[in-house]
Amino acid sequence: MRIIVVIGRVLDPEGFVVNRRRGRIFVNREEYLIQPADRCALEAALRIKDSRSVDVEVVALPRCPLPDDDVLRLAVATGADRAIYLTGDGVAKADDAVMARILAAAVERLGGADLILTGATTMDTGQAQLAPRVAEALGWPQILDALHVEAADGRVTAILKEGNGYVTVETDLPAVVTVPQDTVKPRYPDGVRLINVYKREGEMATAVEEWDVAGLVDAEALQPLLEKRGQDFPPERERGVRASGTPEEMARAVADALGQRV
Amino acid sequence: MDFTFSPEHVALRRMIREFAENEVAPIAAEIDREGRVPFETLKMMGEIGLLGVCFPQEYGGMGAGETGYCILMEELGRVCTSTATNVGAHIGIGAMSIYLDGTEEQKQKYLNPLARGEKMGAFVLTEADAGSDAAAIRTRAVREGDSWFLDGTKTFNTNGSFAEIVTVLAVTDPTLGARGGITAFIVESDTPGFEVGTHENKMGIRGSSTAELIFDGMRVPHENVLGKVGEGFVSFMKTLDMGRLTLGAACLGGAQAALDWSIEWAKTRKQFGVQLAHKQSVQWMIANMATEVEALRSLVYRVAWMVDTGQPFSQLAAMCKMYGSEVASRAIDMALQIHGGLGYTRDFPIDRAFRDARIAEIFEGTNEIQRIVIASNIFRQHGVRIRP
Repeated sequence: MRIIVVIGRVLDPEGFVVNRRRGRIFVNREEYLIQPADRCALEAALRIKDSRSVDVEVVALPRCPLPDDDVLRLAVATGADRAIYLTGDGVAKADDAVMARILAAAVERLGGADLILTGATTMDTGQAQLAPRVAEALGWPQILDALHVEAADGRVTAILKEGNGYVTVETDLPAVVTVPQDTVKPRYPDGVRLINVYKREGEMATAVEEWDVAGLVDAEALQPLLEKRGQDFPPERERGVRASGTPEEMARAVADALGQRV
Repeated sequence: MDFTFSPEHVALRRMIREFAENEVAPIAAEIDREGRVPFETLKMMGEIGLLGVCFPQEYGGMGAGETGYCILMEELGRVCTSTATNVGAHIGIGAMSIYLDGTEEQKQKYLNPLARGEKMGAFVLTEADAGSDAAAIRTRAVREGDSWFLDGTKTFNTNGSFAEIVTVLAVTDPTLGARGGITAFIVESDTPGFEVGTHENKMGIRGSSTAELIFDGMRVPHENVLGKVGEGFVSFMKTLDMGRLTLGAACLGGAQAALDWSIEWAKTRKQFGVQLAHKQSVQWMIANMATEVEALRSLVYRVAWMVDTGQPFSQLAAMCKMYGSEVASRAIDMALQIHGGLGYTRDFPIDRAFRDARIAEIFEGTNEIQRIVIASNIFRQHGVRIRP
């Protein structure tokens, strides 16, 4: 069984401060993490691997253009068997439509897969359309926002939230499943794997392969639909009005303040 | 000159920081209040390889070197000095003594389970009348055939109450003194004659265990002599050099935490209608703290690099311990001053940090001893041998 986990990176929110007035981000510590929802997807894949007696191979692939293979190495340190780092001119400006085509081609190059797991939403941009696009490109069924995932006997079972309760859904493999953030507690990387995969030593020396996307899809498929032209921030929220005095005075002050806004 | 960390050390710090924030910080106040060792945290650390961070992989370690170990101690020191103390006693002096002077068989038998976190270690030196004067120990080891029999009492043993593998120093020839008359042994705590005595009720690092250990005719096989007979004192001093460096790293974490709290408080707290950050007196304290923290960081990681590249580092390790412990104490003191009366309450972590930091100026060789070590090295380089 082969499980593909699609992961991206996000700037560690603890490492930067946004100054809305100046429209700037001050990065104190530039460190990237695996997107939290993608990390939950990786954990879901590793739990399936742990629970199965048959061989399960977990392969990490990027969800977006990455300037380096850092988070892919982190995925291998955490337990993925290997990772594919996608490079080439075409990948740098890839949007979700392009990435979906690239990922579908990569799955084909790998010799197919039984399950694709990825995060339901990205933490920074709120992006949630990659998984449906990949499912569409491959012609596979999709399950979105799975709180729990199991895969066995050619089927995948997932628990979803529905209204105030939960519902269990099932589909045939191969399939694409997304996992929201905070659904499972992800494991920590294994220290020995981490050192070896970053130092490219021992069995980890070739754990992260590099594929040029030019060999996966043609130039036309690499044309993005979207172009990023800069970033801006919404204005800083104005502070509220503090009312003081007797309850009657405070009520009047609140009413006046509301009246002025209307 | 290249001051950047390697990619594996950057990744390791990220992993350790996450572990420290998620698993260590949330219970730091609780273990201090309850005076309990966080065994559950230590177990988790063992499972992901952190308890063997610096040792080679052939001995069950992670292979991240002394730099990796300093990163671990810095990040633990930033959130919980007690946990850093437990780990420091286990790795930095307990397991380290076996790594530095153990035979191949001893490393496979004892270092391996220690590095994997399957067993905990301790390093046993101090006695009631042998603190700074470490060579004045009285614990005796007498040889009978292929066995040694240990008798004596050791005090202030971090991890001593629960460690399964303990390295201990004993007098084997009272006529020879420190040079030739003292030997180090590896002992297993489930051996008859090994007893845990009084537990110390400490002012700080209350989430670590400090206990008296009594050796009552305890038999130790000759194969468990660590290093050579008569060379134990030198062996232990060598181990302490390593421990001093990483104690400096833990102090770096503590000082960094104090600085972080102070910056956050200076941004939040308003007096006279403005944030404290706008007050020059506070700015100067923050500037002083930040400068000392950066100076300490440079010192700690330079010495870690020297260890990893096989250079002599004894004098600089003493500086790490001495300077680090004093920087941490000063930083926490300034953090308290910046926080004012609220910082003096137990609602803030400064209370715990204040109590925890003080021990670093005392244990693993008082700062007075460190100054002697540093001065002795300096004068030796200038042709003068300092008399004790």
